[in-house]
Amino acid sequence: MGMGFGGGGGGMFGGSAASTASRAGLPFGGIPEELMDEATKLLATEPEHPKSDVHFTQLPSAKEHERLTLPRLLAVYPKWVVAGSFLVIIISLTLQAGPLLTEYAIQHGMERHRDLLVIVVCALLYLVLALISVYFQREQVDVTGKLSSRVMHDLRIRVFTQFQRLSLDFFTEEKAGVLMSRMTSDIENLQQLIQDGISQFALQGLTMIVITVILFVTNVELAAWTVLVIVPLLLVFSVWYHHASEKGYLLARDRIAIVLADLSESLYGIRVVTANNRQRRNIRNHRHVVGAYRDANAYTGRVNAIYGPSTLMIGILGQAMLLGIGGHMVLSHQLNPAALIVFFLYLNRFFAPIQLLVQQYTTLQQGRSSIIRLRELLETTPTVDELPDADVLPTIEGRITFEDVSFGYLPGELVLEHVNLEIAPGESVAFVGPTGAGKSTMAKLANRFYDPTSGRVLVDGIDVKTVTLRSLRSQLGVVPQEAFLFAGSIRTNLSFGRLGTTDQEIEEAVDVVGLRDLVERLPDGLDTPVHERGQTLSAGERQQLALARAFLARPRVLILDEATSSLDLQSETVIERALDRLLEGRSAILIAHRLTTAQRADRIVVIDQGGIVEMGTPEELIAAGGAYAIMYEAWLASGGRDATRTASAD
Amino acid sequence: MSSPVSDRLARDGGGEANPLGGVKSKYPGPRREISRDQTLTWWRRVLPVIASHRVTFITAIVLSFVSLIFQVFVPNMLANDINNTFIKHVNSLHGDVISIVVVGVLAGVTGIISRQYLFYTAYNVEADLRSLIYEHLTWLSFSFYDRVQSGQLISRANSDIRSVQMYSIFAPLIIVQCCIGVVAFGFMLSINWALALISMIVMPILYVVGIKMRRVMFPISWITQARLAEVATIVDENVNGVRVVKSFAQEEAEINRLADAAEGVAWSYIKDANIRAVWSPWVQNLPQLGLALVLLCGGWMVLHGDLQYPEILAFSLYLLMLQAPFMMLGQLVMMGQRAKASAARIFEILDERPEIVDRPGAYDLLDINGRVDLNHVTFTYDNGAEILKDFDVHIRPGETVALVGRTGSGKSTVARLMTRFYDVSSGNVEIDGHDIRDVTLTSLRENVGVVLDEPFLFSISIRDNIAYGRPDASLEEIQAAARAANADEFIVRLPESYDTVIGERGYTLSGGQRQRIAIARTLLLNPPILILDDATSAIDVHVESGIYEALRGLLTQRTTIVIAHRISTIALASRVLLIDEGRVIADGTHEDLLANVPLYSEILAQATNEESA
Repeated sequence: MGMGFGGGGGGMFGGSAASTASRAGLPFGGIPEELMDEATKLLATEPEHPKSDVHFTQLPSAKEHERLTLPRLLAVYPKWVVAGSFLVIIISLTLQAGPLLTEYAIQHGMERHRDLLVIVVCALLYLVLALISVYFQREQVDVTGKLSSRVMHDLRIRVFTQFQRLSLDFFTEEKAGVLMSRMTSDIENLQQLIQDGISQFALQGLTMIVITVILFVTNVELAAWTVLVIVPLLLVFSVWYHHASEKGYLLARDRIAIVLADLSESLYGIRVVTANNRQRRNIRNHRHVVGAYRDANAYTGRVNAIYGPSTLMIGILGQAMLLGIGGHMVLSHQLNPAALIVFFLYLNRFFAPIQLLVQQYTTLQQGRSSIIRLRELLETTPTVDELPDADVLPTIEGRITFEDVSFGYLPGELVLEHVNLEIAPGESVAFVGPTGAGKSTMAKLANRFYDPTSGRVLVDGIDVKTVTLRSLRSQLGVVPQEAFLFAGSIRTNLSFGRLGTTDQEIEEAVDVVGLRDLVERLPDGLDTPVHERGQTLSAGERQQLALARAFLARPRVLILDEATSSLDLQSETVIERALDRLLEGRSAILIAHRLTTAQRADRIVVIDQGGIVEMGTPEELIAAGGAYAIMYEAWLASGGRDATRTASAD
Repeated sequence: MSSPVSDRLARDGGGEANPLGGVKSKYPGPRREISRDQTLTWWRRVLPVIASHRVTFITAIVLSFVSLIFQVFVPNMLANDINNTFIKHVNSLHGDVISIVVVGVLAGVTGIISRQYLFYTAYNVEADLRSLIYEHLTWLSFSFYDRVQSGQLISRANSDIRSVQMYSIFAPLIIVQCCIGVVAFGFMLSINWALALISMIVMPILYVVGIKMRRVMFPISWITQARLAEVATIVDENVNGVRVVKSFAQEEAEINRLADAAEGVAWSYIKDANIRAVWSPWVQNLPQLGLALVLLCGGWMVLHGDLQYPEILAFSLYLLMLQAPFMMLGQLVMMGQRAKASAARIFEILDERPEIVDRPGAYDLLDINGRVDLNHVTFTYDNGAEILKDFDVHIRPGETVALVGRTGSGKSTVARLMTRFYDVSSGNVEIDGHDIRDVTLTSLRENVGVVLDEPFLFSISIRDNIAYGRPDASLEEIQAAARAANADEFIVRLPESYDTVIGERGYTLSGGQRQRIAIARTLLLNPPILILDDATSAIDVHVESGIYEALRGLLTQRTTIVIAHRISTIALASRVLLIDEGRVIADGTHEDLLANVPLYSEILAQATNEESA
């Protein structure tokens, strides 16, 4: 969807969708073109929202610690809750007065007394009540709209804040989708519940009570027939329908997912399909898939086909019943004909509330389970948390100490065992070793993505567990291998690490990491949007951006986790020069496969099987003829450039 | 109009499909295509598809008309019964009740049957449209796929089809209901024309308000959707980019970014409520106003003896009956606009013609030796980039040739031209002296097997993936192909061996494993001409040598073109062609080129360097 949300409504569908569409010659995506004009007009009425100013603390406040319940959520806005309830009561009364007035007019104005005044008064009253009902309904929709939007806005921020508090282990791949749905479907379910669910439930329930009371006051016997025969019948039938159609709906949803999956695989794999002459077979297969979807729909269709006309039939048969029983009572002078007419008029009004109530029951259930899921999420304690009395880490020199550190992601499977290492301020240390040896894990312990199972990690002699996460991490800059970019311009991505980065600083960073060419090539320079997690840029360019981002954050300690793996030869040379600038006066941990990068470090630490195997300057290690020397030989033999030589040539 | 769909399928003979997710259906596929005539209005173009279901469709419409007629009788019957039985005492209550029961049952039964047929038709039309799009897309050329994004095609195929199907089916139903409105109005006129006119006053207003409400609600609901997507994007980024956020300690900034976006959502929800608050109470209360009018004027007429008071009941019931069609009529207008726009988007796909098709009189390429000649080939992509210039290469039967060059030099294009994924701009490609444009596409692709650079696998079992091009292959053949591609060893270690279903687009396997399965897939076809387009790039060097060991035996009998960077891969070839800027700039053995062409060693050195990373 669109970019640059905060910068005013108009730009929200700009960029991606429109430009891709025009390039492809096919208008796709987002808001349908035919509605574009009106959408733009609407957006023009949007006021400038004040910038949010939410304060984040790692430890939740007492208020945030409260158990999540619907009443507590609503209680923040008591005025709207009271107003909404009041309006619902008024509406259910004004809406149902009509037939009663009709009866009164017939009985006292037409049947015996024939009084025009009574008729006029009744009709005008009817008219006025309908208008009053219009007014109150309008207010009610407004109030519940406001209420639900604000409550959900609060909840969105609260849940998202909890996301930010949770530790890295919570964000494994399998949970990503689940986390997404907490912030999307669960919150939207609740929105639905508050906006329509609760008020409809109350309104329809009250309506049924009001009608029942009126009917019983009019005639107990006939009312008993109506309420005891027709209402249960309709209720049972509606419940059946609801279950059956939901079953059909779920089936159809599964089947359409298969249809779309099949379509999407066939499109993404179109080259393989064509190369293997699979078109005909795939077409037949797709017919099965589409057919199964059709069959699921046909089931839902049958359920619908039965329910609609059957309800209608129940209505007509109900009228026949009223006519039979009520007519008998009229003939035996137990009932006034006008009263019978009231029953006919109210009979119809029973149908909608019952149907709506059954419908809203699902909303209610969904809302309930959403609350439970959100509550669970909010009550999860982060595995890496701050101590209540955590200190702010003062500006550090950059000494990092691993003191007898052991760590495992899973209990009983240690990745690091009894590691001791000290990195002096300003020193750069390269971690080398096979994949899975624990190099990245060391880096993750340093900035407290995880806590060691035993032992301590110290920064400038202070245990990292005793300081605030923010003060620690803002002084340690990490450039991960997967250079993750956010939707937004190159500029906003670069200034991500430190608010208030000046344009001049950004320009400088662009030069340092060798992105000048790219920036000049792009149509909008630094303001060019980065689409779909940076897919418009090459992997190398993304890594360069990530480096520039780290450079701008000015951390005291820099950790490069395979940050130069995707660079091509040319950018690598540039980056290596940039590294000199980056490492100036900083402690650094360089995790690298490329020995070019490793050779640049003051010290190399070879890590294998959870421990340090060797350690020393590059020259020392090559001379020592140990594990590193073997790696270095192999690398040279496979065509790697001799970094020391290149460096000296500079 | 003859259906090309069935023609294309007829060639393929029998063979049981292997449905995804095990779903099967008796659905026979579309019987008719949409009209090719682009000058027709959109619904006339869809008409042939609907017409192919005319029996069920017409039955549905006729029966729903019948059902509605029965319904219309009821209020009038009630009014008459009350009048004649209770006031004039000329009827028996017994007869009244029985006749209403009969009418009610008839209305219900015909209603149920008509809707069954209607829904059935609707879902068949939808299935037809889905199949037509899928089948059309299957045959489109790659130049089309270069232009459009698959994700967008999918969204089009999904929502646009639905809006066309909704309209084309429900429009007639709503029109039938409106016809009933006319009948009901007739009844009202026959009772009392003046009251009929008065009571109908609110109906046009209801129609206008209904339209107006939908028109203003639509844009805001789309805006809300767009903004929810905005929030979802931020959440998605924070879940996937959690390390970056935490590394830079930017939690607070991200929360505020989300809060800003959420503020926008809150605004659009409140706006939505505001707009709805203006219109929806009128939709709900206009019929009430009508009823109040009926009471007022009807009461006045009763006093003047122009009306019997039970007829006020009949009028009230008719008004309630009429409100639905009038509201739906408004909906119909809106649906029509959406459907028209959606149809235009669907037609854009369906009007796209495949560029690469069998020429009339194309013959099958049979029993070939495997000589390949690219004669002075020039190739330009649709975007104007000239990839190959006067590219002239001749490969002897059974020869193994390596194509080497920088990224973008045109190596992969050669593979795409030989399988006719694209056609040459000038010059020609010949196999055994046959211009490949003279032979059928099916036979060409049976003879030229290509392992693509991106090893795309389907979400089906490994066995079915390997047998993708030859679904009838036996397990032994599949295993043999897997062994040749060095894939057997890891496949048998998987939980369900060859029956292991690969996750979405095969992502649960490593890149090297996917490439090995892709190689096995092509080897199973045993094509006389084999093209490996960077097909082993993600495979470890020692595993790769194992594959080539196995291939060496297989390669002797076939013409092979390998596109590669690695020395180990290139060593397989007896001849190396160095390609740069769309031309062959050197031709010889690996050793020759290494010794004499500086660019060659440069490209190899760079590739090796990347390799070691």
